[in-house]
Amino acid sequence: MTPDAIPQTGGYMIAAYIIAAVILLGYTVVLWRRGSARTKS
Amino acid sequence: MTLLRRGRWITAISLLLLGGIYVRALVFTPEERLQGLAQKIYYVHVPSAWSAMLAMGMVGLASILFLFLKDPRYDRFASASAEVGTAFSLVMLTTGPLWARPIWGTWWTWDARLTLTLMMFFMFIGYQVLRGAVADPSLRARYAAVVGICGLVLLPFIHLSVYLFRTLHPMPIVLKPSAPSAPPAMVITLLSSFAVFTLLYVGFVIQRYAIGEHTHDA
Repeated sequence: MTPDAIPQTGGYMIAAYIIAAVILLGYTVVLWRRGSARTKS
Repeated sequence: MTLLRRGRWITAISLLLLGGIYVRALVFTPEERLQGLAQKIYYVHVPSAWSAMLAMGMVGLASILFLFLKDPRYDRFASASAEVGTAFSLVMLTTGPLWARPIWGTWWTWDARLTLTLMMFFMFIGYQVLRGAVADPSLRARYAAVVGICGLVLLPFIHLSVYLFRTLHPMPIVLKPSAPSAPPAMVITLLSSFAVFTLLYVGFVIQRYAIGEHTHDA
């Protein structure tokens, strides 16, 4: 199989990496804010 | 250093390492010839599935310990692990279809592995809905522990589903008795990602546990 035959699936990969980062960073922010609210109270 | 700060530090380090995994996976790991770049979704999808299963396993084990020892710290830990597991399940359930669409030609199929992992996600959700619905802390902890143990029972079926049933889902690449079925460069990236996702799980759980400890939101 020549390199030209490699399926062009980069868009799906980029979407997956972005979504994973958004979920994990989003959850980090949620925990950070809840933790900060805890220390203030 | 307080527990919360410790959790924050571990999370921050894990996120930095996750950035490194992204760079290694996208730039330095070879492209698979048949699947193209979509194969690189493995490096986030498989470790997130691992962390979700680790989270469910911890929920189950902590639930068993709670029922035997009646120590509320186990219940609090199970609650923390369930919430963190939901986040990892979400990563698993969103990145999986993004790989399946170009490779299988469909976003989703009711294959045994996919259906069982979706069940695990619903168990995480159900576990938390149950906790929110029962006001009495002692009853809440006991009921939640039963759901947590049911989740633990589900885990071997998820892992072995590709052997027990005829499924479309790929076989395990690393977590199997024989040698890994991928070139060393890909296996190193995958194993590094497993380590980082495990560390991220630890950081998240410590933070969530510390928050629950203070608010008694067990």
